[in-house]
Amino acid sequence: MNITELISPQRVVARLGTTSKKRALEQLAELLAGHAPSLTPEEIFDSLIGRERLGSTGLGQGVALPHGRLAGLTEPLGAFASLDPAIDFDAIDHQPVDLMFALLVPAESTDEHLQILADLARRFSDKGFTEDLRHAATGEELYQRFLTQDARQRESA
Amino acid sequence: MDIVNQLILVAAALLLISILVSVPSRRVGMPLLLVFLALGMLAGAEGPGALEFDNYQAAYLIGSVALAIILFDGGLGTRATTFRVGLRPALSLATLGVIITAAVTGLVASLVFELNWLQGLLLGAIVGSTDAAAVFGLLHAQGLRLKERVSATLEIESGANDPMAIFLTLALVELVAAGATRLDSGVLVMLVQQMGLGLVLGYGGGRLLVYVINRLPLATSLYPLLALAGALVIFSGTLNLGGSGFLAVYVAGLVLGNRPLQANLGIQRFHDGIAWLAQIGMFLMLGLLVTPSALLAVALPALAVALALILIARPLAVFISLLPFGFPLREQIFVGWVGLRGAVPIILALFPLLADLPNAQRYFNVAFFVVLVSLILQGWTLAPLARRLGLEVPTTPGWHRRLELDLPGQLDYEMVVYVLSEDSPALGETPATLRVPPGVGVAGLIRDHAVIAGCEAVRLAVGDHLLLLARSEDVEALDKLLTTDKVPEHLRESRFFGEFVLDGHATLGDVAGVYGVEVPADSRDSSLAEVLARAFKRRPVVGDRLPLGNLELVVREMEGETITRVGLKLTH
Repeated sequence: MNITELISPQRVVARLGTTSKKRALEQLAELLAGHAPSLTPEEIFDSLIGRERLGSTGLGQGVALPHGRLAGLTEPLGAFASLDPAIDFDAIDHQPVDLMFALLVPAESTDEHLQILADLARRFSDKGFTEDLRHAATGEELYQRFLTQDARQRESA
Repeated sequence: MDIVNQLILVAAALLLISILVSVPSRRVGMPLLLVFLALGMLAGAEGPGALEFDNYQAAYLIGSVALAIILFDGGLGTRATTFRVGLRPALSLATLGVIITAAVTGLVASLVFELNWLQGLLLGAIVGSTDAAAVFGLLHAQGLRLKERVSATLEIESGANDPMAIFLTLALVELVAAGATRLDSGVLVMLVQQMGLGLVLGYGGGRLLVYVINRLPLATSLYPLLALAGALVIFSGTLNLGGSGFLAVYVAGLVLGNRPLQANLGIQRFHDGIAWLAQIGMFLMLGLLVTPSALLAVALPALAVALALILIARPLAVFISLLPFGFPLREQIFVGWVGLRGAVPIILALFPLLADLPNAQRYFNVAFFVVLVSLILQGWTLAPLARRLGLEVPTTPGWHRRLELDLPGQLDYEMVVYVLSEDSPALGETPATLRVPPGVGVAGLIRDHAVIAGCEAVRLAVGDHLLLLARSEDVEALDKLLTTDKVPEHLRESRFFGEFVLDGHATLGDVAGVYGVEVPADSRDSSLAEVLARAFKRRPVVGDRLPLGNLELVVREMEGETITRVGLKLTH
C-alpha cells in the first residue's frame, strides 16, 4: 500500500491552530472519526494518547507520527496536519513539532501495517520533504505537496 | 661535544618523522605503533640509519618508565562509570585469561622450539598481555565508537593484564634461572603479595596525590608535573617494597582520573602528550634494539607461535574467561580477535636477557616477531571487523572546543565553543529559541572577530562562534543541536535505534498491544527496562538489541544502571 492512499484532501489540514499535544491529538482524532463511521473521536483519541504514554511519537526535527491499533477498522487510515504554532511534543530532540501525521491500523495487524509506519517515518526523516511541506498555506496545497514529494522520493529511491 | 649534538639531532629527527608519519598512517588505518617500530628498525644497525644500539639495561630502564607513564595515562582516561559493565569481565580476562593465553601459547612454543614446559610457559607469559592504547588509537583514528560492554572490557583489561603478565614473566624467569622445571606454591604467595601491595599502594598513593594536588597553591603548569612525579614515585616506591609497580601506577591513575581534581584538564592533556612521547620513544627504541636479520632466522617457528596465540590461545582464553558474563557471541568474537600485542611483550622479553637465561636472545626475537604479526594482522583488521560485527554505536562528531573553568567549587562546569558550519541544524535559530538542555547557558556570540552584545535575538549564521556554559554530561546533547547531522547511513540514529522511542518504564504488554505482537504472559507486566536488563544479565549497554516479534527493541539511553529510553525498530 502506498502511503498517499492513507489520506484524502478532507483529512489534511494546514496551519492547524492548536494549544497542546493533547489538544492536537484530539483535533486529529476528530478528523479521523469523520471517515471511520464505526469509531468515535474519543476511542481514537484514547488509542493515540495510550501510545504516547509509552513514549513520545515525536521523531525529531519537528515531526510526530502518533499511531494506534483499533478494532472496528478495516483499512489503515491517516490524517495529516501542519501546526501553527509548533507545539511541545516531548520529542527526543526537544524540538517543538509542527508536522503531525496520525495513523490508525486495524486490530488484525499485519506486517504491512508496520511497513506503512516505517515508510512514513522514513519519508518524514527527509529534510527536503518536510521543508517543502512546511510551506503549504492551505490543506489542499499541503495534500498536493505531499503527493508530489512522495512521487519524487519514490523516483529517487 | 659533536657526539652529543649529533645524538640530539638524531633523536629529535626521529621524533619529528614519527609525528609527521602519523598523519598518512592514520588515513590508511595502519597501526601507528607499527610505523614507529619500523622507523626504529630503519634507523637501526641494519637499516640505512646504521645506528648501533644494544644496551639492554638502558632499554629496560627507558621501557619501564615509558610503560609506567602509559599505564598512568590509561588510568587517568578510564571513567569509573565504565566499571559497571567492564570491570568484572576485564578482571577475569586479566587474570584467568592471561594464564590460559600463556599456558596454551607456551605449550605450542615448547613444541615448536623444543623447550621444556616452563621455558615455553615463559615465552607464553611474555606475549600474554594486550595493549589498549593501540586498540583505541586505531578505533579513534577511524572515528569508531564501540558498544560500551566491549570498549570498557578491552580498556580495563589491557590496563590490568600488564601487571599480571609482568608478574608471571618475572616469576618464571626466576624459576628458570634457578633451574626449576615446574611451578611451586611460592609463586602463588608472590602473586598475592605483588598484586595486594600494588592495589593498596596504588590506591593510597593516588588518594594522597589527589589531596596534595588539590591543597597546594602552585603555578598552573606545575600541577601536571606534580602528578607525573607523584605517579613515578608511586611506581618505583611500590616496586621497591616488593609490589607490582605497574598495577600501582595504573590504579593511581584511575583514582586521579575519577576524583574532583584541580587543573584536571591540564593534567589530562599533559599526560596524553607525555604518553605519546613514551609510546613513540619506546617503540623507536625497541625497533633500534632488534636485529632484523635475526628475526628472519626465527620467522617460521615464531609465526607458528603468533598464529597459535591469535587463533587459538586468545579466543579460547576469552571464551572461558567471559563464560560467566553472558557476552553476546559477536562481542566475544571481537574481544577474542582484539588481543593486540604492543610494547609490553618486547619489554618483558628483555627480562630473560638481563637474567642471562639460555636462549634469551631467542625469546626476544620471537616476542618481537609475535608483536609484529599481531600489529599487522589484528591491527589492520580491527576497525572493519567492528563494523562487520555491528559493534559500532552512533557518536556525535564533537566538533567543539572545551575549556575547563577552574573556578573553586565549580569543578564540573566547562565553557564549550562551537563554530557553526553550513550544515549545522541551528542556523537561523537564535540563542533564545535554541532548545539547549536545562542548566546550559549561552554565554556569548562572536561574529567576525567581534563580540555581539545582547545576542539572544540574533539569528545564528555560518561561521559564528557560539559560547556556552555547560556540564560535561550535556555536551553530547549540544553536539546534536549544533553540529552537522551528516553521519554514515548505517549509524543514523533512526536506522540504528529504530524509528520510535519508548520510555524504559513502559510495559512490554502495552507495547506488544499497540503493534500486535505476541509476548509470553509472564513478562507482560514487566517494563521494557526490566526485560532488556534481564536479557543482558543485568549489565545492558546502549546498542543492545532484543527481537520482539518482527520488531526490535534497542537500548537507547541509560542513566547509570537504568535503561531510560528504548528504541523501537520496525524494519530490520
